[in-house]
This record gives sequence, C-alpha cells and structure tokens, in this order.
Amino acid sequence: MSRSTSMRFGAAVLVLSLAVFASGCGKKGGDDSGNGSGEKGPKVGLVTDVGGLNDRSFNASAAKGFERAKSKLNANGSIIESKSSSDYSRNLGTEVKNKSDLVVGIGFLMADAVKDAAEKAPDTNFAIVDSSYTGDDGWGATNNIVSLMFREQEAGYLAGVLAGAAEEEGTLDGLNSAKVVSVVGGQKIPPVDRYIAGFQAGIAKECGDCKVIVAYSQDFTDQAKCQDIANTQIAKGSDIVFQVAGGCGLGALDAAKSKGIWGIGVDADQAYLGSHILTSAVKRIDNAVFDTVEQVKNDEFEGGRDVTYGLKEDGVGLGKISSAASKYQSVVDDATEGINDGSITVPDTV
Amino acid sequence: MSEFIDIWIVGLGKATIIYAAPLIFAALGGLFSERSGIVNIGLEGMMTGGAFFAIYGSDIGGSSIVGILFAVAAGMALAAIHAVATITFHADQIISGTAIVLIAAGLINFLNLNLFGPNGSPASIAVPAKVGGVSVLVLLAIAAVVVTQYVVFRTPFGLRLRSVGEHPRAADTVGISVVRYRYVGVLVSGALAGLGGAFISFNVSSYSEGMVAGNGYIALAALIIGKWKPMGCVLASLLFGLSQGLVARVHGVSPDLISMLPYVITLIVLVGFVGKSIAPAAAGKPYDAH
Repeated sequence: MSRSTSMRFGAAVLVLSLAVFASGCGKKGGDDSGNGSGEKGPKVGLVTDVGGLNDRSFNASAAKGFERAKSKLNANGSIIESKSSSDYSRNLGTEVKNKSDLVVGIGFLMADAVKDAAEKAPDTNFAIVDSSYTGDDGWGATNNIVSLMFREQEAGYLAGVLAGAAEEEGTLDGLNSAKVVSVVGGQKIPPVDRYIAGFQAGIAKECGDCKVIVAYSQDFTDQAKCQDIANTQIAKGSDIVFQVAGGCGLGALDAAKSKGIWGIGVDADQAYLGSHILTSAVKRIDNAVFDTVEQVKNDEFEGGRDVTYGLKEDGVGLGKISSAASKYQSVVDDATEGINDGSITVPDTV
Repeated sequence: MSEFIDIWIVGLGKATIIYAAPLIFAALGGLFSERSGIVNIGLEGMMTGGAFFAIYGSDIGGSSIVGILFAVAAGMALAAIHAVATITFHADQIISGTAIVLIAAGLINFLNLNLFGPNGSPASIAVPAKVGGVSVLVLLAIAAVVVTQYVVFRTPFGLRLRSVGEHPRAADTVGISVVRYRYVGVLVSGALAGLGGAFISFNVSSYSEGMVAGNGYIALAALIIGKWKPMGCVLASLLFGLSQGLVARVHGVSPDLISMLPYVITLIVLVGFVGKSIAPAAAGKPYDAH
C-alpha cells in the first residue's frame, strides 16, 4: 500500500469507528414493544439530562421506573441520553416525532426545553421532574405538562431524627462526646436545601443541643472537594456526615469511612458503600414515573399542575438503616406516623 | 487551638497536596508532549481513563500495583490515538485533543456502567497505602518531577526531544527522527496523565462519573504558568491546590464567590508575577518532512 492510500484507509477506519461509537452512546434502550402479552401499553419517551443514565441518582431512578412500566403496564418506547444542554430540545423533539404518548424530561435543568416542546406539540403529554408548574409565575407553560415534585424535606427529616437520636444517646461506635453533625451540600438550590432543612429539623427534634454544620461544595462530581469539606467538618467534631451532593458527596462518605465515623447517603440507597452508612435519604423518581405512565394508560393524565410525592405517596423515604442503629427504628416510625397524619409539618427552607 | 491547627495547618497542608498531586502528574505529562511539539488538550480524557482503570485494575487484580499499571496503560492508549492522529496524519492538535476528551468520557461511562453496574465500583478496593490520609503515590509524583527535570534538561534524549519541539526542520536535518521523538513525548504524556487520574480515584477509593472535573485543563494552565519547566509546574500546581483548599475552609461569604478564588488567584499570579511565558516554538504545528 502506498503512503497516501494507507493514510486514507487509516483515516476512514478512524472516522468509521468514531461514527459507530457516537451512534452507540447517543441512544440507549431503543424501541421495545413491551413483553407482548395483553393489550398494548402507552408509548413513553424518556430524555435524561447531562448526568446520564449511570448517575446512580435521578436519571437511573427514572429509567428504573420506565423499566417497571414496560414489564407491568406493557409500556414501550425509548430513552435518549443528553450529552449537553443543547441536546435537550432536539431529544425531546425526537421523542415527540416517535409518536410518544408521554414524554418525560428528567431534572429541573430541562424545564425550559420541556416548556418549548410542549408548546409545539399540544397533543402530546409531558412530564418534568423537579421543576414546579405552579411555583414560578413567569413559567407560563401549556397545560399538557405535569410537574413531578418531591418533598425531600421529609426524607431529610427522617434521616435527621435517626441521626439526632443516635447523637443524643452517643453510644454508637465512632460517635464522640461533641454533639456536632454536618451536611455537605452540592449547590444552594431548592431540592438540596429541602433535604437540608428537613435534616436540621429532625436533628433539632431529637437532639436539642446538637449543632449542625452546613457547607456547600459548589460541585456535584468532584469527590476531592466534598472529601476535603467533610474532613474540615470532622475536625470540628462532626461524627455524622450527611451528603447532599450527588457524585461529589461520595468523597464526603469516603472521608467518614476513613475517619471511622458515620455517613448518610442521598437520593439512592447508598448502604452498598459499607457499614459506615447510617442510612440514606432516598427519592423515588421511579415511582413518580411509573405512576405517570399508569395515568396515561388509564386516560387519567391531567396536566397543568404539580403532583407532589412525599412520604405518604412513597415518593421519598429512608434507605436501609445500619443494623447497629436499628434500636432507633421506633424514633423513625414515630416521625413517619407524625408526617403521615399531619401532626408534623417539615420546613422546606433552610 | 488544636481545632485551628487541625483545619488550617495540617488539614490545609494535606488538602493542598491532595489537590496538587494529580495536577503535577498531568502537567509533567503536558510538558513531555508540548516540549516535543504536540499540544495535548486531551490530558483531561487521559486522566479520566487513568482514574477509571486504576480502580478497575485494582479490583480485578486485587492489588493497587495492577491498578497503577492499568491506569498507565489506559492513559497511553488514549495518548496513542492522539499521537497517530496528530503526528502520522497531521490532524489539528486541538481538535484531536478535544476528541480524546469526548471519546474518553463516553467510553469510560460505558465501561463503568457495564463493568461495575449501577452501584459503581465495589466498596472495598485495594489502594496504595496512605500516610495521614495522603496517598504514598505522592512520592511517585516527587520522583516524576526529579526524573523529568533530569531527562528533559540533562540528557541527549531530552535535548533531542526539545529540539523537535522548537525547530523540527533543523532536528530532522541532523538526523533526529521528529516522528519518533514526538511519539515518545505524547505516550509519556499519556502515562503521566493516567497516573494523575489514578491519584484522583485512589484518593477516594472509587471511580465516579465526572470526578476528574477539569483537572486536565487546570494542569495545562499549570504548565503555562510554570513556563514548561518541572519546578514551575510544581509551584503552579501547589498554588492551585492551596487556593482550592482555602475554598473549603472559608465560611461566611457566598460559596459562589468563594469558588472563584482559585481562578482569581491564578489570574493575579499570571499577570503580576510570572512574566512572559513562551511556548515551545513548534508546539501545535504538524511537521511534514516532505
């Protein structure tokens, strides 16, 4: 082969492999016509934000809800992963063109793109996670959108009463005599602060003289930052660290592990990280997505409103509680009962 | 008082080293590549490869040594793509480097999901020993600085490497293979960036998406501020590390404003103290012998 031929061949191979690669990672799931048994369910189009499907958090959880809808409701359709914020509109448009009965945008970052898409496709049903329909007067979205909202503060509260009770008694391994706990937040945004507000209220309920240190990492991915912040909090006496910072927060939980103290996970049940995880404050986006698909299937979909998922709706809750702390289960149960019967109202701002 | 020492002296010192070590590795990597005349914007991607494969190698090999070898190999594999594209096929170095970052991001996310599953890497991973919370890999970083200083500025190999980065035509006419030296420069760059990535993931004993978080780009800035010299890279990296450590410790001011601190300090140092920083003359330009 002459030099120029081999160069051209090499370049062609490179381009081809890039093209295959790009098309491979742009779309996951593909079309799926359900399990074939029974009547045909609704067609659903899920569009993730830039976090991607493996964020171990809300995109992954939403996908789980979709999978369940496929097997239980005979739903079909596809998931498109967004690689940048400029993909949102195009990906939503693709799902509309696919003749989806329901298009779901995952995460408040997609709110504006969902609003535009819903205006252009008035006959398609839309759902947006984490962005309130009624909260922002200027939003002015069309009424074929439903907003799936969560009372994160209730999960934060349950984690707070558990941590507070443990701190008050101070007998768990790893706890010191200083009554200090801490939170590493990602950014000061409403969903993060709802978790924190609930946590503070829960601590105050069970451990009146406990101090809660709160700091924000300004980051959701860089573990080193959250690890560093957690280490400074531990130096100030914190022996239970609650992470509300996604991937970054895994660094805070690692700091807790290496210092032999306790950590509390967020969004998903993070008990798999080890025996230092006291519990996790979880958010069941899968349940919200499943419910919405079910509503579409039963012709009960009603847009133009917020549907808020709390403890009662099985939209938030606690993950596995460490067996060492199982003696505080009754405290959690009491708080759950109080929230469910309305006798406890958890604040949603810090 | 002891709390003050814990946080502001010992804690800040350790944090500075933990933030700076990956930058030092990657900036030295950039030095090898750019001294040979190839701009390496792809450091970020090579670090991502190293961060993931350090954990993966450690997991399947049961030893952090295997992890380190995997990280080096991953960085070099990505660097090899950059080398083939830019040296053999004369592709634009900025475009190729950017492609490396995007390829690594997609590929590593895919591997992370498929090799580790939705919960990510296992909870217990063998990592290099830590002394007071700082990985002993930091010793490797110090060794890399010394070796780089010696090899690039005190050996015939280093002289030739620099000559193909300054004036490839002249080097070529005296019989130095521009292509071969540039390949070596870029591959060593990938190996060092892979080690930088390994430091990041070993520091927290896990890989998670996006954890390299722009360190590859900051390392490039450290390379420029450090004037393409090893000790300069070290000082610039320590400055970044220190200011990042301050961010975690200053309270009472808006966190949004505080998070600007490392970059504000960088600009001040760059404008006020560093003076003129001149890149290797042929960096960024493809060399065609014909």
